[in-house]
Amino acid sequence: MPEMQSLGVIHLNTWSALISMANLVILFFLLKKFLFKPVRKVLDQRQAHVDGVYAQADEALAKAEADKATWAERMSHAREEADAIVARASENAQRSTDVILSDARFRADGIVRQAEEEARLTQLRAEEGIRQEIAGVSAELAGKLLGREINEQDHRDLIDSFIEEMGESHASDQ
Amino acid sequence: MTEPKKPSRLVDVLLILMMVLPLAAAVVLHVLFTPQEEGVAIHGAWVYYSADPDADLSQVISTGFIITESLINSWLVMISITGLALFLTHGLKEKATTVRQHVAEWIVENVEKLIRGNMGDFHVRPFAPFVCAVLALSVFSSLMSLLGVFTPTSDLSIIAGWALLVFIVITGYKACNGPRVYVRTFTSDGPVVAVLNVIGEFSTPVSMAFRHYGNVMSGAVIGVLVTSFLSGLSSSLLGAFGEAVPLLRIGIPAVLSVYFDLFSGAIQAYIFAMLTMLYVGGGFSEDDWIRRHSAKPKQTAGQTA
Repeated sequence: MPEMQSLGVIHLNTWSALISMANLVILFFLLKKFLFKPVRKVLDQRQAHVDGVYAQADEALAKAEADKATWAERMSHAREEADAIVARASENAQRSTDVILSDARFRADGIVRQAEEEARLTQLRAEEGIRQEIAGVSAELAGKLLGREINEQDHRDLIDSFIEEMGESHASDQ
Repeated sequence: MTEPKKPSRLVDVLLILMMVLPLAAAVVLHVLFTPQEEGVAIHGAWVYYSADPDADLSQVISTGFIITESLINSWLVMISITGLALFLTHGLKEKATTVRQHVAEWIVENVEKLIRGNMGDFHVRPFAPFVCAVLALSVFSSLMSLLGVFTPTSDLSIIAGWALLVFIVITGYKACNGPRVYVRTFTSDGPVVAVLNVIGEFSTPVSMAFRHYGNVMSGAVIGVLVTSFLSGLSSSLLGAFGEAVPLLRIGIPAVLSVYFDLFSGAIQAYIFAMLTMLYVGGGFSEDDWIRRHSAKPKQTAGQTA
């Protein structure tokens, strides 16, 4: 083996310098391809993802705000509607109250009228009865009259006393 | 549903091997093929292959094709970094659940934030992988010193290659507004300043290369010097026992290593990346570009009218 040479402490070899320069260029491309490109790709992907998430969040927020506005509007409408419903309901109630009342009044009137009618009929029937009794009595009286002379005054007194008697007997009948 | 989406264990194991094996290979190569050193030895990278074996490589500049330990180590580091990137991005999901996905996203987002802060939004997409490559290659190369192998960043050629690339990028961005604008950036303040401007332009990559390389290299040199000094000190204090077992070498160099290997390596990588961003961002004005590209249709509209 030939004896190995060593360079001086300060020594510039042109070939070494050129090769070293090429080394740096090669390492530049190696790092670009194997370190920066993949890492950059991943970082960009993440950035895009994050941007997308942010955009989605903004969108969701905007939607939520819109929904909130819609609901607030609907809520205010609902209060108006509720007021209207209550008004309508109380109106209906009033109306049906009136109907019921008038109906009741009508029926009450009917009952009263019927009662009056019945009372009148009863009275009529009673009068009829009395009349028939009077007729009967008159027939009896006529029988009696055939038995004795009588003047007009006597006649009147007789009838009165008879009716009185009748009234008593009628009262005692009852 | 979730079962097929789960990242497979086998691929994970293979990717972890892809990360670890190159580093182990670097150690094995170093142990097997580089000669054992005696005493204080400060030198550059070992040359594994030279197209012209008779060439004298002790000069400051050589042009022959050679493959050095630093080149091989930087290839191994590149494989390791690629494995790490593949491991981190294996099984990415939109909802991050794994630690490695968080780490991957942390890296990407912080590099992009760094560029956004220093260069503006305009450069984020094209420049993030470049700055990340500079940072990763520089940091991991510097940290290779922890494995006891030759650090690629303490080889001037390696850093010079990076600085040259940065210079090309700067010039490319400056020139993309057209050659007239590019020339005017130098000559706008008169001929004397123009000369200084041109010198300053070319000194940018040189200063960047020497700054990074010098810091890492000097750290290694100081480490070797301190270690040998502590050996000498322990042998002179403890006599023959100290010479056989250099007690003082235990522990103390480790403290220096924390600064020179960890801190300095990370800081120099950061500075290199930062300067790259600042020079490119300064050479290319976004407003200028927008103005130029929005001015063109107006000009044609004026001509037709």
